[in-house]
Amino acid sequence: MAQAGKGRLNYRCPACFLRDLDIDMFYDKEKEEYYCLRCQYTGKEADVLKGNEMVRTKYGAMYQRFGKFDFD
Amino acid sequence: MSEFILNVIHRPEMVPEYSATVTGHGKEEDIGDKKLLTESLDIFKTQQRLAHENGLKVTIHMTYASLFNDEAVQIAKDDHERYGDEIALSLLGLPCEQFREKYKTKDFCIWMFSMEDKKAIVDDVFGKFHERFGFYPESTGSYYMDAELTNYIKKKYPMVKCAIATCWEEGPKAYHTCNNSWYTLFDGGPWAPWIPSKQNTHAPAENEAEDSGIVAIPHLSRDLLACYDGNGSNFGTHPQNVLRGMIYDSKTWEFPYLYNLIDQYRAQEKYNNGYAYNMMFVGPGWMNKMGRWEAPYELLLKSYSEGCKYYGDLKKEGKLIDMTMSEFADYYRSKKSYTEPECALWRDILYGSDKQLFWYADPYMRAGVNMDQGGAIFDLRPYASKLKWEVGIGTKHVQDASYPFLIQEKYRAGYFTHYAGEGTIRSAKLCYQGEEVDLCLCRTKAHFSQKENTRILTLDPVEIEFYDLTVKLQTRIYFPEGEGTICIEREILEMSRPDAVVELNEYMVACYGTTEYPEDMEGIALRCEGSEPKEIIYHYQCREEILADASEVSAVIPAIETKVSMRASKGAEGYVREGYAFSPMFTLGYKKQVSRQEVFVTWLKLEKAD
Repeated sequence: MAQAGKGRLNYRCPACFLRDLDIDMFYDKEKEEYYCLRCQYTGKEADVLKGNEMVRTKYGAMYQRFGKFDFD
Repeated sequence: MSEFILNVIHRPEMVPEYSATVTGHGKEEDIGDKKLLTESLDIFKTQQRLAHENGLKVTIHMTYASLFNDEAVQIAKDDHERYGDEIALSLLGLPCEQFREKYKTKDFCIWMFSMEDKKAIVDDVFGKFHERFGFYPESTGSYYMDAELTNYIKKKYPMVKCAIATCWEEGPKAYHTCNNSWYTLFDGGPWAPWIPSKQNTHAPAENEAEDSGIVAIPHLSRDLLACYDGNGSNFGTHPQNVLRGMIYDSKTWEFPYLYNLIDQYRAQEKYNNGYAYNMMFVGPGWMNKMGRWEAPYELLLKSYSEGCKYYGDLKKEGKLIDMTMSEFADYYRSKKSYTEPECALWRDILYGSDKQLFWYADPYMRAGVNMDQGGAIFDLRPYASKLKWEVGIGTKHVQDASYPFLIQEKYRAGYFTHYAGEGTIRSAKLCYQGEEVDLCLCRTKAHFSQKENTRILTLDPVEIEFYDLTVKLQTRIYFPEGEGTICIEREILEMSRPDAVVELNEYMVACYGTTEYPEDMEGIALRCEGSEPKEIIYHYQCREEILADASEVSAVIPAIETKVSMRASKGAEGYVREGYAFSPMFTLGYKKQVSRQEVFVTWLKLEKAD
């Protein structure tokens, strides 16, 4: 089995990101999947993208534009 | 009149941070790679173009490596002539063939070198700059500038008047985010420009004698709520920080959060005599042609283009003044006195919680107040001690440049702890017939006002419900300028039974440290002053001393040369409490029986303990 490398983009592990860890993933060409060195996450590109959307759920006001910053 | 000032800073970094781990993955290290140099310079040119197209002037931070590059030097000269950009000197971006050859090290963070090397590098870099430009720079900076480094620069190169001197709350949180491999440990500083003291960069100067001679600016303007609880590098006025945090719509590539962040900073002028500040500083590594993490280059470019446009449009509308760093230093000194605090009333603009914090910084303290916890103080740094804290090789703190805390609710818990013990917090409890309610559980909002030299937070009243009694209580918090004290007033506005009496327990649980891990508490002196003074010398014995009508309760913490004390209005019982090994904290407090329409006042004071 050949060594892993980087994928098309430099995806981070969505499971680690959820616990505030920025960890680059590596790409296994044979299995066509990304995997994390730090935790047990593995996933195809589509899974990673889905995981990244999960990450965004913590930002409840991410799409909101604020016009007022006090409560006066 | 309100003024919103912007500093935009670019650095031609010939070997950008991250290049080895991103662009260079799978290749042997080649610090002189010509392709890398060309790409880095291209990114710098793009950044310059985007700022200028939007009418913004830039402070160009020449790196050591770029001083060996004729094209980078020429661009700086040309843009200075054409756009009024300031040519300044960065102490970031040291890595290059010439540096490696001369210093025989891969270290690249100026604050972590030995003092001997810091001096040699500063002289080398400043000398090279003079050789290329014929003058010395007025502005410099790094991610962190320790006091000894700044003092040396100021003595040797007195024309330097402005420096990027810290990244706000870039400490253990950033370290953890980077899988414990990013050694920028400097929590505890101001979030907005300040005049550092000669003794400690984080602690603002109290007077001319303490003045380091520079105006310090933070590296980026950070989200004052999100950064305290997460990775700072996701929540700053650096468009690609926002991408790093994945805070954009993956379909439309829109990122309103960046504009909310900028606008919330603009709103801070209300609390700072009409002045607000922003800083945008992006190294070329963040605009890598290969993309940055999951963001392709096109998105990186879009974010920087639109970030510049937003600032540029504000300028066109007369809502923003762009300055170079040296211009800003002059402006700041003409605008601020030594003791004038920096204040920020900050709301959550990302998570949708409506949480609200207040931050206060002056030469004596930095304090954070959480309105979602009834106005509890959740972070406290005793700047009054002006702690001498040398960093770098050969010192006691090679990497750890953080200013120690007395209270830090994330590293030492706050109100909530697991199973046993206490966390650091300054709050109050109401006790009535065996029931106890902590104000940390009362969510409210605050309103800012200023009376002469005192900044005042007036919190909306909260209701505390006991089994057969409801109490309506209001908190007011006063920060008198130049005193190093915080005065907290609790007023019992109403009680469902007008003749009821409740016990109000004003307390502060504290310790000291710079990280999540406990420090040695042995020897801390806890005292009750008054008719019969009492004392406990900390030995983890879980002891307590109580004194009726105590004139003061205090703790002296030799390790950080700090005395913290509380006083109270008349008729209160003071107490001090030692912790134990599973709860290495101490508590200072006052208890008083209070009734309807009564006001109980306490004062917290921070002093240097020699």
